[in-house]
Amino acid sequence: MGDRGDPPVAGERAELAGRVRQHVYRWFADTGRAPSPVELARAFELTPSQVEHVLEELATGADALVLLPGSSYIWMAEPFSAVPTSFLVGSGERRWWGNCIWDALAILALLDVDGWVATACPDCGDELRVEVAAGRVAGEGVAHFAVPARDWWRSIGFT
Amino acid sequence: MRRWCEDRSTRPGATVALETLWALARSWYDDRLELGWRRRTPPERQALLDAVGLTGPFWSLTP
Repeated sequence: MGDRGDPPVAGERAELAGRVRQHVYRWFADTGRAPSPVELARAFELTPSQVEHVLEELATGADALVLLPGSSYIWMAEPFSAVPTSFLVGSGERRWWGNCIWDALAILALLDVDGWVATACPDCGDELRVEVAAGRVAGEGVAHFAVPARDWWRSIGFT
Repeated sequence: MRRWCEDRSTRPGATVALETLWALARSWYDDRLELGWRRRTPPERQALLDAVGLTGPFWSLTP
């Protein structure tokens, strides 16, 4: 971003934001959690304020991340959730949280790994498990979409 | 599913087979790890839904 005292030019900002976004995703993939703003600052040699600007740009400008309201902490890097959800994803010893069944399956697809998704029926509470092996999905049940597609991004946390 | 909706006073939406959801998950996120990623346009996203058979008013991304 040039000298820390100088505001970055637009092209540099976009390039940095792209690298930070990719880093966030790789961090989720490798660790199962979101990087903190401090961890991002350290990785990219940025000040806390610069990290906040980049994260805000990724959340509002690029619509690439969802931050916890009123903070710079990452809530979602879809399909990954930084907070525990009803959709636990596993492959070997690794674990992640998906934002919904679609996102949970997407984690396995994105990482191109065999694995499983564990959740529970929201009505009766019975455990539900979906397996993915050799690029195919197996499991009982269907997914219910309560929100029509045109409203998905009206409140992504609710959706 | 019907009981769940009634308990929450919400209308039933749409149900999707797991195989269809898997196909959608793969295509929707296939570029997410790429450095040059950008969010797809509504027409591009609509095309992904169409490609797995999710068509009709419920699946329309435009009002």
